[in-house]
Amino acid sequence: MAEKKRKTRDENGHKNRGEFKKKKKNGRNSSKQDREARRRTGPRLPNALRKELDLLNSTTQLSDDDAASDSDVAATNDLYEYEEALPEEESKKNKRFDSVDNYEYELPEEFEDEDVASDDGNDEGDEANRDGDELDNEDDGRHSRMLQEITGLPGDAFEGKRKNNDFVISEAYPESEYNPSRDILEGDSRISIEDLLDPLHGKSGFSKLRKDVHRMERKSLSLNAPLPRSDQERLERKAAYELSKKDITKWEPLVKRNREAPTIYFDEETDVGFSTVGSIASEFKPRSVFEKKIASLVNDNDIIEAHRKDGARLLELNKISVEDVRDQQNRLAKMRSLLFRHELKSKRIRKIKSKTYHRLLKKDRLKATAAAMEMNPEAAKELAMKQEFKRAEERLTLKHKNSSKWAKRILQRGLNIQDDGTRAAIAEQLNQHALLTRKMNSMMGSSDESSDEDDSDDILIDSDQEGPSTMLKKAKEKTLEVLEGNEELPKSGVLSLPFMVRGLKKRKEAADEEARLALQDYELSLKQLEDKNEEDSENLHVSSGRRVFGATKRQVQEFKDKNNSDNYYGNSDSDEGLEAIGGDEEDGMDKNNESLTDVNINPDVLREESEIGHDPIFKSFEDIVKEPGPRTTYEVALFASNSSKKKKNVDEKIGVQNEEVSDCHTTRYTEMRDLDMEGENADSDTESEGQMVDGILSSGPKSTYEQPSQEELIRRAFAGDDVEEEFEKDKEVVLNEENPEPEKPTLLPGWGQWTHIQKSKGLPSWMMEEHENAKKKRAEALKKRRDAQLNHVIISEKLDKKAEKLHMKTLPFPYTSKEVFEQSMRMPIGPEFNPATAIGALNRPEVVKKAGLIIKPIRFEDVDPHEKVENNRSKRQKQQMSKSKGKSNKNMKSRGP
Amino acid sequence: MDMKVKKYLRGESANLEILQDRKLKGQLAVREELYGKSAKAAAKIEKWLLPSEGGYLEAEGIEKTWRIKQESIAQEVDILSTRNQYDIVLPDFGPYSLDFTSSGRYMAIAGRKGHLGILDMKNMALIKEFQVRETVRDIAFLHNELFFAAAQKKYPYIYNRDGTELHCLKEHGAVLNLQFLKNHFLLATINKLGQLHYQDVTTGQMVGNYRTGHGRSDVMQVNPFNGVVAVGHSRGTVSMWKPTSAAPVVKMLCHQGPVTALAFHSNGHLLATAGMERKIKVWDLRKFEVLQTLSSHAKTLDFSQKGLLAGATGSFVQIWGDLAGAQSYDRYMGHSMAKGYQIGKVAFRPYEDVLGIGHSKGWSSVLIPGSGEPNFDTWVANPFETPKQRREKEIHSLLDKLPPETIMLDPTKIGAVRPTRKKEKPTNPEREAELEAAVAAAKDIPMKKKTKGRSKPSKRAKKKQEAVEKARRPFLEQAAKEEELSEKKRKRISEENELPKSLQRFTRKKAKA
Repeated sequence: MAEKKRKTRDENGHKNRGEFKKKKKNGRNSSKQDREARRRTGPRLPNALRKELDLLNSTTQLSDDDAASDSDVAATNDLYEYEEALPEEESKKNKRFDSVDNYEYELPEEFEDEDVASDDGNDEGDEANRDGDELDNEDDGRHSRMLQEITGLPGDAFEGKRKNNDFVISEAYPESEYNPSRDILEGDSRISIEDLLDPLHGKSGFSKLRKDVHRMERKSLSLNAPLPRSDQERLERKAAYELSKKDITKWEPLVKRNREAPTIYFDEETDVGFSTVGSIASEFKPRSVFEKKIASLVNDNDIIEAHRKDGARLLELNKISVEDVRDQQNRLAKMRSLLFRHELKSKRIRKIKSKTYHRLLKKDRLKATAAAMEMNPEAAKELAMKQEFKRAEERLTLKHKNSSKWAKRILQRGLNIQDDGTRAAIAEQLNQHALLTRKMNSMMGSSDESSDEDDSDDILIDSDQEGPSTMLKKAKEKTLEVLEGNEELPKSGVLSLPFMVRGLKKRKEAADEEARLALQDYELSLKQLEDKNEEDSENLHVSSGRRVFGATKRQVQEFKDKNNSDNYYGNSDSDEGLEAIGGDEEDGMDKNNESLTDVNINPDVLREESEIGHDPIFKSFEDIVKEPGPRTTYEVALFASNSSKKKKNVDEKIGVQNEEVSDCHTTRYTEMRDLDMEGENADSDTESEGQMVDGILSSGPKSTYEQPSQEELIRRAFAGDDVEEEFEKDKEVVLNEENPEPEKPTLLPGWGQWTHIQKSKGLPSWMMEEHENAKKKRAEALKKRRDAQLNHVIISEKLDKKAEKLHMKTLPFPYTSKEVFEQSMRMPIGPEFNPATAIGALNRPEVVKKAGLIIKPIRFEDVDPHEKVENNRSKRQKQQMSKSKGKSNKNMKSRGP
Repeated sequence: MDMKVKKYLRGESANLEILQDRKLKGQLAVREELYGKSAKAAAKIEKWLLPSEGGYLEAEGIEKTWRIKQESIAQEVDILSTRNQYDIVLPDFGPYSLDFTSSGRYMAIAGRKGHLGILDMKNMALIKEFQVRETVRDIAFLHNELFFAAAQKKYPYIYNRDGTELHCLKEHGAVLNLQFLKNHFLLATINKLGQLHYQDVTTGQMVGNYRTGHGRSDVMQVNPFNGVVAVGHSRGTVSMWKPTSAAPVVKMLCHQGPVTALAFHSNGHLLATAGMERKIKVWDLRKFEVLQTLSSHAKTLDFSQKGLLAGATGSFVQIWGDLAGAQSYDRYMGHSMAKGYQIGKVAFRPYEDVLGIGHSKGWSSVLIPGSGEPNFDTWVANPFETPKQRREKEIHSLLDKLPPETIMLDPTKIGAVRPTRKKEKPTNPEREAELEAAVAAAKDIPMKKKTKGRSKPSKRAKKKQEAVEKARRPFLEQAAKEEELSEKKRKRISEENELPKSLQRFTRKKAKA
């Protein structure tokens, strides 16, 4: 049997680790035996081997006793077989590996296994264990016998030891509930409920308790196995969720209110702290010694008393020592003297002006002198004298020609070494010298231009009339010279080539022409100057209103001259020509006004009037106008008569040369009139008027009103006919531009034309279809236009690229319909468009809070879920209003009568 | 009251019922409520703070309002008003044109023969007058009375109140008519050649310069509602312009003959035009239809603030009124000047029942009851403005200056979603022409002369070739891209079509435009 058991043990030890646990459970005795066995039966082995074995055992003993005990047995038989089972690193052969601790779980002594179904053949093991248990008693006997045999000691010794083991219990601690005695642990004498109940016997409630216990014993139900932990937790969570869900619904109205509110306020219960200076001052408490001292003085009862009474005692209290007074006086005196000195100093400093100031001053002075020179001839003369003197001085002294000590020194040292400033200074000096010593140019050359420009400053010209006249004379002489003096043509060289000669001749002719013109110019202006000399004396006495025109007169004449020389009238631009004449007329009108004693009425006005004035209202008016009333003058009439006169003058002056021009001028007028008659466009009102005036101009000053010809009348009556047509054409053009017509389908040249088949077939059908489609599209687009139904209107539908940025590209996010968006944008919200009372609400931000305010988490408050947001806010506003109302009421009262 | 509230609501509220988004719905509802409150408050303010109501002359029995003479009006009105009836006779300086500041406090006068002046109408004081000694055709105040522009013989000039010439606007040429757009700070002019110029008077920038293409015209008016400038032409057309497009926004055939005068109602919906064929037409600019045709002639027209229409021809001024508010104008008043006076310009004085008349002998002023707005808004135009307020306002108006792009036919559309219009694809020949032009331009680029054999003919040819390629590339790329796009589209369509009917519903649906 024993062998059999050993076999099973061997098997177990080798194969089945799980079994080992069971053995532990039942085998308290067996382990003891093992220990004894080991003590006694050391196998006789050579020393070297023993050592090795010890080494091995030291590790294996730790791992399991069982294996060790087995190894005892095995060691005798086969040593190496056992060694093989060990991993290399555990063998600690050369201590190369770290010693590995055994981390295997060691079960506690009192471990009681639940009966978990083991996976591999545990049942067998169990059976075997049971067998073992039965066998144990037998085994013990046998074991003792074996021991006796081995050790040679009487069996009693072993028996006694064993008995000792059984009955003598040596405990380290006294028995208590924390240290249960061995027998309790061994399970023989368990405490039952009865044991616990017994001491209570006879006490009140005992019977009841006993009954309960009885009942429990009788009806003891087996509890279900608890749910798996995860399931249990899930259920718990579910329940918790339901609860908290219910709990959280109470926040709903609050959150809803906040969500729906257009504005959330966070500024309600905030304590800003002190608001006024007074409140801050009232909180003040003296802390430092100084403050305390002052406070004691300020709050001195005596002084307060004295103030409260008549103040006579104040003097008494106000004691000052003589030294103090002297000190103060000294200090004051010192301060005063300091101030005085500072003032003196600053006065002096203030007088010293900066470099820039002086520079600017100098500039100003120069400017002033320059202006004076322009304005005042005497000053100019003086200045010129001064300048001349300077120049003479310079020429004599050569002051600026490197003769100064400074300049010499610098030149000696070499210019290159100097810095930029000095070099610039030297250059400047040289420049000045050059300026001062340069030979004076004659000023005569420029007189030519100056005579005919600057018509504004008449004064200057008036003042020195002598100059221009002489100048003019000189110029005249010179031009005459030029005209007369025949330059000889070169006989040799490049210039003698025939085409060069021709060119020269041409140029000369042109020059001659010009000279001639200039000559006439000069003559004219000479004449004018003479005239003016006479006129000027008159002009001076003319009233202020006249004077204005007196000045312009010259201008006019000059203007005219210019025209002459420029051959202005030949200009083909009718518009400008008219304008020029108009200008003449207007400007020169005054001159004729003087000469005209009686006023002309030009019937032209009437023509104009009749053009429009068939109204009965105007009839009487017309009648009145028709009778030549000497009182009224008409501008237009004036124009006409004046300009005609003027024209005559002009003609005279221009002389032969301009005859051709004037001829063509008149012809042009007639042409224009023809144009006017037949022309396809009815010119604007003013223009035709002007032309008419001009037309009369050429015929004479006093022309009679001409009845418009039949042609003219008809033209006017049907003037509008082609206007509409034209507009339609215009519209067509615009439409074509904006919605272009589809291109006509064409084949590529040569395509399909070899055999006339394509020709006979015509264009391919798909092309035609495409064309048709395009046409249809265009028609639709035209129909959609805003001006589709309006024949007399063209509304451009061109996209304005610059204006595109003023529109939204796409519909902004929450909106889904364009209409709603546009409707919502229709109201302006600026202060210009809304009353001040509404502007705040319209532009209030979503969150109103003071800067620096910490927003606390939301607190629960009861909110009526059916209350409207608006009301809520208005309530708040009301509260605020009521707060401020107190003040306003006061104001009202104070303002009231 | 309801009418007033409606006026201040500026249109109907959106139908919120169709909205799916509840949050948006809530927000919009709140907004609408606020708007309603604001409108109500504004209406109340109007009711209580603007109590003066305008009125018109009323005739009893067989009396007719147009028979009532200025003299009889003068007997009835207060002394201050009688001061507004006067004639200033200045026969020397030709027909006068007038302009008022928007507050009606100041008037600028321009005699054709160079007489310029500014008057304070409140105390009838002459602030400044001077002679420019050349033809002056028109005058216009800029944003306040400190500056005004005068169209002179060759160029328009800008003067300040002291008569100092500040600018000469040479680019404009010989200008016939001047208009100032107050909100945009633009000076619009039309010159003899029929060119329309827009110049920003704050920056001096020339904003627009367009040919009208209809010849010379001196009939121009700005629509106060949207800033569109209308020009009347000799062919009976009226074209409306904005500074950002070279073509007219609207062109309408108004008359058979030349258009002699134009005027806009201050609400911008009405346009009155006068033609040479003795017709005055009143147009509804919302529908571009004639509301009414009056048979009369006018050389000048003007709408008053309250919508009276004044027209003048010869020496006779006539005023039409829409007294019943039924969009039909009939005779309201008339005034005939002394015989022989040629009226050149009529202009209603803002915030006063006064009509200014510029004529060949000076200027006159007559009372037209009910013409001016009785209540003025000091934030808009203050007749009693102090210099400090004026300065403030100048800054404000400069800050509020509108860019020229905001001038459009319907300015209420600003901020709305851009009208969807398909992009205009250039047609094939256009594209080809463009390509050719680009290639030609690339060919014409002059080559640099380089040394060390780098400008050998072969190299040059190569470079030229490269340049041409480079110029051509963007076009080719564009074409390729379009090709690809169309390919994709076709593919998608074909895919959709290819699927059997039962599976088609599973194809991804395109987002609805």
